[in-house]
Amino acid sequence: MQELIMEEIMQDIKFYDCRVIEGSSTSVILDNGKIEEISRNFTRGAGIRALCGGSWGYTAVEGELDLEGGVRDAAKLAFAMNKNTPKEEVELAVVDPPVIRNLPGIKIDPRDVSIEEKVELLKNIESRARVEGVHSTKVMFSESEFKIMYRSSEGVECEYELLNTGFAVSAVATENGVYQAGRESRFGYGYEIFENIDVFGLAEKAGMTAVELLGAKTPKGGTMPVLLDQELAGVFAHEAVGHASEADLVLEGDSVLANRIGEQIASPLITIIDDPTLHEFGYYPFDAEGVESSRTEIIKSGVLNSYLHSRETAGKLGEETGTPGNSRAQGYSMPVVRMSNTFIDNGDSKFEEMLESVRDGMYLIGSRGGQVNTGEGIFQFNAEKGYLIRNGELAELVRDVSLSGKTLEILNHVTQVGNDLKMTAGRCGKGGQLAPVSDGSPHLAISLALVGGA
Amino acid sequence: MYELAKKALEMAEKAGAEEAEIYYVSNHSTSVNFKKDALESAKDRFSEGIGVRAIVNGAVGFASTNSAKDLENTIEIAVAEARVRENDPDWVALPSNGKYPEVVGIFDKRIEAMKLEECIGYAMELVEGTKEVPGTLPTSGAFTRGKSRQLILNTNGVEIEDESTAVSGFVDVITVNGETSTAYDFDVSRSLDIDFRAIGTHASELALSSGNGIKIEAQKTNVVFHPFAFSDILEAAFAPSLDADNVQKGRSGLIGKLGEELAAPELSIYDDGLVEAGIETSASDDEGVPSQRTPVLEKGVLKSYLYDSYTAGKEGVKSTGNGSRGSYTSPPAVGLRNFIIDYPQTDLIADTDSGVFVNTVIGAHTANSISGDFSVEARNAFTIRDGALDKPIKSLMISGNAFDLLKNITGAGFDVRKVGGFISPSIRVSDMSVIG
Repeated sequence: MQELIMEEIMQDIKFYDCRVIEGSSTSVILDNGKIEEISRNFTRGAGIRALCGGSWGYTAVEGELDLEGGVRDAAKLAFAMNKNTPKEEVELAVVDPPVIRNLPGIKIDPRDVSIEEKVELLKNIESRARVEGVHSTKVMFSESEFKIMYRSSEGVECEYELLNTGFAVSAVATENGVYQAGRESRFGYGYEIFENIDVFGLAEKAGMTAVELLGAKTPKGGTMPVLLDQELAGVFAHEAVGHASEADLVLEGDSVLANRIGEQIASPLITIIDDPTLHEFGYYPFDAEGVESSRTEIIKSGVLNSYLHSRETAGKLGEETGTPGNSRAQGYSMPVVRMSNTFIDNGDSKFEEMLESVRDGMYLIGSRGGQVNTGEGIFQFNAEKGYLIRNGELAELVRDVSLSGKTLEILNHVTQVGNDLKMTAGRCGKGGQLAPVSDGSPHLAISLALVGGA
Repeated sequence: MYELAKKALEMAEKAGAEEAEIYYVSNHSTSVNFKKDALESAKDRFSEGIGVRAIVNGAVGFASTNSAKDLENTIEIAVAEARVRENDPDWVALPSNGKYPEVVGIFDKRIEAMKLEECIGYAMELVEGTKEVPGTLPTSGAFTRGKSRQLILNTNGVEIEDESTAVSGFVDVITVNGETSTAYDFDVSRSLDIDFRAIGTHASELALSSGNGIKIEAQKTNVVFHPFAFSDILEAAFAPSLDADNVQKGRSGLIGKLGEELAAPELSIYDDGLVEAGIETSASDDEGVPSQRTPVLEKGVLKSYLYDSYTAGKEGVKSTGNGSRGSYTSPPAVGLRNFIIDYPQTDLIADTDSGVFVNTVIGAHTANSISGDFSVEARNAFTIRDGALDKPIKSLMISGNAFDLLKNITGAGFDVRKVGGFISPSIRVSDMSVIG
């Protein structure tokens, strides 16, 4: 009887797929020069989706995997949902099976480096961050190796393996009860990042930032011309524009970019791209539904050109709004539409020219995070620090400054785009899931923005 | 794995651990998600895993796994890691077998036994609630129920098991006509006592009443923070300074301030792992230390930092039962339990001549957790005039300092709410900087 019921259910399941992930991660934390934690985590699990009519069923299982049982459970959930609350059928956009190409090459496998050597490296980084005036430091090392295997009812079968290596350093300086922090981090795909990147220079920079911020003042806030550095402008590209271009939010009516494909929404100087094929922190060869990754021009010379899609959202909104390939998941979670490596493309202005054109305003540098409301198209980001700009020249260092405003207004107020694109790695949270991403930009000059201060 | 956990201690000792701790946790959750007003997916998640702490010569190693067949290897790695580290003079010992308090209200059989159809029903209630307010649409939301089981064993005789349940609902809504405005509402509870329809209705009412906002001048004024807004700011800009680990490492704005009057004299704050039906309530913390109620601020005076077993040992004090883990994949660290804000209650808005009322904030996590400085964008904010909410405010930034904010509290409402483990009424703070 049970089998008969199952057979009947499976007849109504149009599509199912599963992702198996297995791997391990290691982290070492050095706190004030002392090992605080060495930990290793082994993990194996799977996320399984089934589609019935317009409803998805999803199961996630860990440990010893029974994939067939998982498919049955997901199918039952989808079937019950569709029966209880039937709705318009989901049509998945048709895609070709992925070709895996151009995986990041690795020269030094972090697993071949002893834990003692890693600890030694962290201690050296720590000592460089401890510049005069710094009284507390934290250095973190992480490596992870993951194998991702994908299979679908359409016969797609593919897999890849990635090794991530990275480090983060933070320094805190204090004086008369005032505390200020500086942070730097980098991620890459092999232990050679520690040879290719000036990690000691970065550590010193984190320490110097903390110390110099002690002496900085909090300026008066208000509306003024601003110059954004690559990191803060990258955060703007990701948070304010990138999220609003995610087609699931567009479909929910939670995006200020809904129904605007083909419209001039930004200064013609602005081109914004999402490219998971770049060997930056948001790299993947195929996404969480087996779609080969590809470059998307979200905004092309100021015109909204494409949303970021999953197969479902591309099926709903149609080809002219973009193609799938941006479905991502943290671990065994249900995939959602996500960004990868998102950046504002290079323009041709030089930093000095931009400073000159801003004339009197503020130079905002770095980011301590931010948030947006994609539906209303408003955002708020806190800069790590800034400089007042007076008569086209950098003046006093300032702290506790933030940038907020309307996404579309800022995009239209861009007057110059620099030629010095730089990417920054990070983790993006959406729907309770974290995904590795990178974002970046050249310097941006903006004629008018709201700066928060004292 | 549960059965295996009980054998794991022996395996650890055999592998050479002088002390060892096995932390087992399993979670089973079901959620029904909707996009716009259509139910989109049902998710069933089962996870379990074991985290192992092994101590050799006063050094700790940690490893974890979710696979039974990897457990032995995991234990050996934890021991090997401990051997790599030099002796930690601050290490005292794993917690010892304590006397555990009785806690109530954290397990509801109805949640454990809930069928998918019932979950669908509650998700529908969230959606239908929004429809009682014309002119709004839900954008997304979910109903979730979950059950978890936790077992902590260590070689000092700790053996404590806990089972708990929870249900939660959230909904995001947007207005459909005129200028767009949005709002959200959510609730979470240990038992099935949430009015899901009311969550939807309230979110819609809030989105609708927030439309066509006015501009206000930059000024210093009274700000009344809804528990959502207040908890966000305090968790990001104040709570990290109470963490004994931050205090010991020089990363807290509260170093050397025990016994000082830091806040309004009528304000008390408690960290309490024993609150009936609290989201952070359980007999023990995540390393087996009995839960307790810790006065953090009493009548404005700083009484205690918050400790896990390690930071307490380092300072020669008792753990306050704040050993906390996000999952089995990490060793314990100091974390808040139920965090209770206590201030004499009044009819707060009626008591306020002028100012602004702020429902939620965005950007609180960007606060400086040491200095307490924060700058946030207020959402669903309204002017207060002559003791009543007056007009919605279009855009509003609030900046300040969490420590100053605690000094300037001048009122609390009757509307105590459990925002996860954060339990607080609406709070009025005088003399806050706002920029329209």
